[in-house]
Amino acid sequence: MKGERTAEARTAQIAELFGASALFVAVLTLFLSVSLRQLHGRDAFPQVVRGDGALAVAFGDAREVLGRAMVQKADSYFHGGIDMDCHEAHGDEHRHHDENCEHHDHHDGDEAEAQDEHEEHGGSFDPWRWINSRVRAPRVHRHLEGEKSVELIPWLWASVKADPHNIDAWTTAAYVAGDMMKDRELALRILSEGEARNPGSALLRYYKGRVLYARGKGDVTAAKSTFATARDIALLKCGGRPDRLSEEDRRAYDFSTNFIAGIERREAGK
Amino acid sequence: MKTFALQVRALVKLSFLELWRRNDVFALVLLGLALMVPLAMASPFGSAGASRYLDEVALLLVWGFSLFVSLGAGQRLFAPEFEARTIYPLLAKPISRGRLLVGKYVGALAASWSALAFFYVLFAASVLLRGGSFSSELCQAVALHFAFAALAVALSLLGSLVMSASANYALCSIALIGMFFFGRNLPEYSEGLPAALSWLVKAVYAFAPHAEFFDMRQRLVHGWGGVDGLVFAVVMLYAFAYVTALLSLAALVLRRRRL
Repeated sequence: MKGERTAEARTAQIAELFGASALFVAVLTLFLSVSLRQLHGRDAFPQVVRGDGALAVAFGDAREVLGRAMVQKADSYFHGGIDMDCHEAHGDEHRHHDENCEHHDHHDGDEAEAQDEHEEHGGSFDPWRWINSRVRAPRVHRHLEGEKSVELIPWLWASVKADPHNIDAWTTAAYVAGDMMKDRELALRILSEGEARNPGSALLRYYKGRVLYARGKGDVTAAKSTFATARDIALLKCGGRPDRLSEEDRRAYDFSTNFIAGIERREAGK
Repeated sequence: MKTFALQVRALVKLSFLELWRRNDVFALVLLGLALMVPLAMASPFGSAGASRYLDEVALLLVWGFSLFVSLGAGQRLFAPEFEARTIYPLLAKPISRGRLLVGKYVGALAASWSALAFFYVLFAASVLLRGGSFSSELCQAVALHFAFAALAVALSLLGSLVMSASANYALCSIALIGMFFFGRNLPEYSEGLPAALSWLVKAVYAFAPHAEFFDMRQRLVHGWGGVDGLVFAVVMLYAFAYVTALLSLAALVLRRRRL
């Protein structure tokens, strides 16, 4: 009987201790949450998932990495399935890339021949590399063009689904739709969706203007007003001081200004 | 020779029935359908006409499923026999350990190949249903994939004789999946590492099974055309040599094993 009472007392003690600990942790979390938010704003807890949907819950901040990987996949599709990762050693010197990963125009080199040359210059013969370069590389490097560019769209769609704040993915998708597939409606739809997810993006607004402008063949008046709003959005974010623009907003601001100047010159010329 | 053929035939039949009775393949097909049907019905940004991504995902699933089936088939050849002690009546028959090993391997291989062929038939059906067509490289891709399955079964069989089932699954999967995705880049990874680690990575590159040699997915998806005949023959030879080495090691382990 005495033993039972002692056990009950111990259980009660443990329960009290547990309750007190839980309360302490809850209060501490609340305190840190409030004070860190006051000190650092909404980025105080970068691990907290922002956004909604299953992807946000499942992947959290890894969505950014996933989104970039999808853009890379789209780039690989553009190059006909070749992974254009600049760090890839396979035939580095024949990648036709400059230091900034910009593509040059000539792409008709034989990758396998390139590998042979690489081995000649590089020293010892590696049979595994020899096989890989022949199994995993096409004879001719081709780009997707015209309507076939639609093959890039699913990967870019997956990219923005994974990370809706990846502005480059939205603009690349719009570029593919508008410039490569010549489907302006699709491009505008993509950009509208992108703006809905990123209301303060000057770059998306600038890109919308660019699609509307369509190299001077589109709705120039609407394009001009869209460029103007893109500039306004950029200026609004830096308090009206262009010297404080972020790199992304600087691009939107400068390009929009150039386009507006060009349109005004055309209007004056008429 | 005739006895050997009869023995192998019996073992092939057993492996075949075992795989298809387990319903693993049907479960995998259902899983594949659950993934592929929503993907096929999606219209990204409201656009239509893209199909390569579907081919790519479908082929990746075929590779994943075939790896699962092959490793399972190899793992189940001897371990259950040892556990249930049915290996004794099996060896009491006039059959040597070497023949038993070869017969069981051929049986597991036939079962894995049948599952792989089934997956490829489904893949072909999905492409044809979408109005697509096939080029000559499909035959090469399937042949190389069959060679990969032979290698995976042999690797799993050897692993099943020297370690537990879970360890075997895990190690074989890590080795094959790792090599499949990163094998060709290992020399670059080894650069800049400490000397000992660099040598280790180089040794892995030299001796680990190069699963990536058998991967023609990008050629199929993007229509690059088939690989050169010489390269195809070299890859097949590589698979044959690797399988022979693995089976020889497995035979050695089985012969030395105390029953």
